[in-house]
Amino acid sequence: MPSLETAVLCDGLVRRFGERAALAGVDLHVAEGEFVLVTGPNGAGKTTLLRVLATVLRPSEGAVSVRGHELPRAADRARPGIGYVAHGPLTYPGLTARENLELYAALYGVSADQIGPALDRVGLDDRGRDPVSEFSRGMSQRLALARACLHGPSLLLLDEPTAGLDADGRELLREVLAEPGRTVIVSTHEPAWFEGLATSEMPIRAGRVAA
Amino acid sequence: MNRRAFVALVRKDLVLELRGSEVVLAMVTFVVASFVLFRFGLGGGRTAGGTRAATGLLWVAIVFTAMLALARTFAREREHAIWDGLLAAPVDRALIWLARSCSTFVFLVAVQVVALPAFWLFFLQDGPAPDYGVLIAAALLADIGIAALGSLVAGLASAGRAREVLLPVLFLPFAIPLVLGAVSATTGTISPQTSGLHTLERLGYLALYDTVFVLFGWGLFEFVVED
Amino acid sequence: MNTTAAARLDRATCAALVAAVLMPVALGLIFFYVPNDADQGFSQRIFYFHVPIAMTTYALFAWGALNAARYLWTGDMTLDLRSYVPMHLGVIFGTLTLVTGSFWAKVSWGTWWYWGSTELNTFLIIFLFYCAYFMLRFSVDPGEKRARYSAVYALLGVGLIPVSVLAVHLGQDVIHPITFTDHGANMDGSMLFTFLMALAAMLSLAVAMYLVELRGKRLDEQVTRLRRLAEGTR
Repeated sequence: MPSLETAVLCDGLVRRFGERAALAGVDLHVAEGEFVLVTGPNGAGKTTLLRVLATVLRPSEGAVSVRGHELPRAADRARPGIGYVAHGPLTYPGLTARENLELYAALYGVSADQIGPALDRVGLDDRGRDPVSEFSRGMSQRLALARACLHGPSLLLLDEPTAGLDADGRELLREVLAEPGRTVIVSTHEPAWFEGLATSEMPIRAGRVAA
Repeated sequence: MNRRAFVALVRKDLVLELRGSEVVLAMVTFVVASFVLFRFGLGGGRTAGGTRAATGLLWVAIVFTAMLALARTFAREREHAIWDGLLAAPVDRALIWLARSCSTFVFLVAVQVVALPAFWLFFLQDGPAPDYGVLIAAALLADIGIAALGSLVAGLASAGRAREVLLPVLFLPFAIPLVLGAVSATTGTISPQTSGLHTLERLGYLALYDTVFVLFGWGLFEFVVED
Repeated sequence: MNTTAAARLDRATCAALVAAVLMPVALGLIFFYVPNDADQGFSQRIFYFHVPIAMTTYALFAWGALNAARYLWTGDMTLDLRSYVPMHLGVIFGTLTLVTGSFWAKVSWGTWWYWGSTELNTFLIIFLFYCAYFMLRFSVDPGEKRARYSAVYALLGVGLIPVSVLAVHLGQDVIHPITFTDHGANMDGSMLFTFLMALAAMLSLAVAMYLVELRGKRLDEQVTRLRRLAEGTR
């Protein structure tokens, strides 16, 4: 039974897609407050791991628990505390930035008056009423960050968040990640950039944790 | 039920459709074009088989037009990889299905607001007409069934290869009893001897169809959408 | 593992033996024992093929749907095969039902299909559903997702059956306004006995085919698994 200090626990996590095992037995222990970097070559399974932890994918085999909740059985109880920044921005291009956040606020049960401050925090307060289809990659990433943090999650999962960000965006990302009181797991190709923030690094190779 | 999330999801679909109009306009064009095809196909002058045959064809047109809506049902989420965002959120999967079914229902009704008058114009001017109240009631009931089951089946079809072909194949066996019920209800009203009970039985059947597949949709959608 | 494999071997062989005995007995009864039908004569005997085959198809479907539900409930992958194989056999028996049904229509009503028969038309819809099930199965790659989607669709089919029966019944005025009286099920003793024997024979044949095909597909999977192990991927 994982203690309350354990944010994430994986024991022999396997995830298959058809015949292929994207994750072939991952053991992972992340304590609360830790900042873990997940590194590895393309196709190693970093995105798959994050998606399983975000409760978007179900494990094929093995035990996974996030914030004390066993997946997939208790996934719905784990979700309110998880913020997930994926490869894509997870926003509807046809809606404005504000409308996207309104949707997610409704889904997460967040009061609508949090949206203004959230946009403000990522420097998009003057672009709130613009459709997301007009956003640059950097702006989309900022919106994704706002979306992921809107409900005040205690666990942040980010999939290569530095990709496509300009200097201002990177500075903002660093500010957000430095905020205390959260457990953070980041998959990245640039572990050096996270120096000063990260507490540990976990290399993954071919679906397993490399020695 | 999380009413706020439900309203937000439905509103999102309606707003996106109003702005982008991927589906409704195409469906209107398609259904009117189908009527023209049927009219020419059945021969000019007095419609062969009369209003009875035409009313039957109306339901065929409605089902095929609905396929267009269903084909696009989860296309946005798929194309822009938004599913992860919805699935990571603490919202009941059945609620996602319910919201999608409701917006699809709205689209179907919107199309029929144009299609039914067009149908009257093309086919019902010469010859005895079916009861319009029954026709509208049957259309609404059929729309519920199509939207509910269609949203579930669209999810199944989107997983595989050749999904544009797969959706009609998966959906049409279920459309057959629906069309039968609707045709029986509406063409029955063309002959004056048909009793009210006859019509009521068939409208009741459509309601039963809806109930069955709403229950199935509610219960099974989570198995379709979760990976 | 060895004992269960041996036991399964026995079950399939036993079922095959039972079928091998019942089928000739049933055929004998159908062709030599049962008296000619008063109205339709010798060719009415198609009834003793058509209805048992149809009932066997429904039984296969029920078994497949039941295992589909069990799969969704437990996630046990062995149930996927035990759901798929009956559905697969259902297509075979379903095709036979339609063919014998066509002959029966010819015998009873003079046309190669009879639109006034609730039973025939309901079956037509179910058969289309089976074909769609296969389209779905072939379009998804093997794995957990295919099993899940197949199970969901199989369960939808359960809803389709009563809905279709009712629709075809209510829609009679549309499909076939002029109805002939259906030949009633007033079977005397020898006819009933023959019918039941034919039904038992068909069911035993279906069970034998099910067990044999299941065994074959399981061996298939084991080979694939061993190959995967040999290649070093898990």
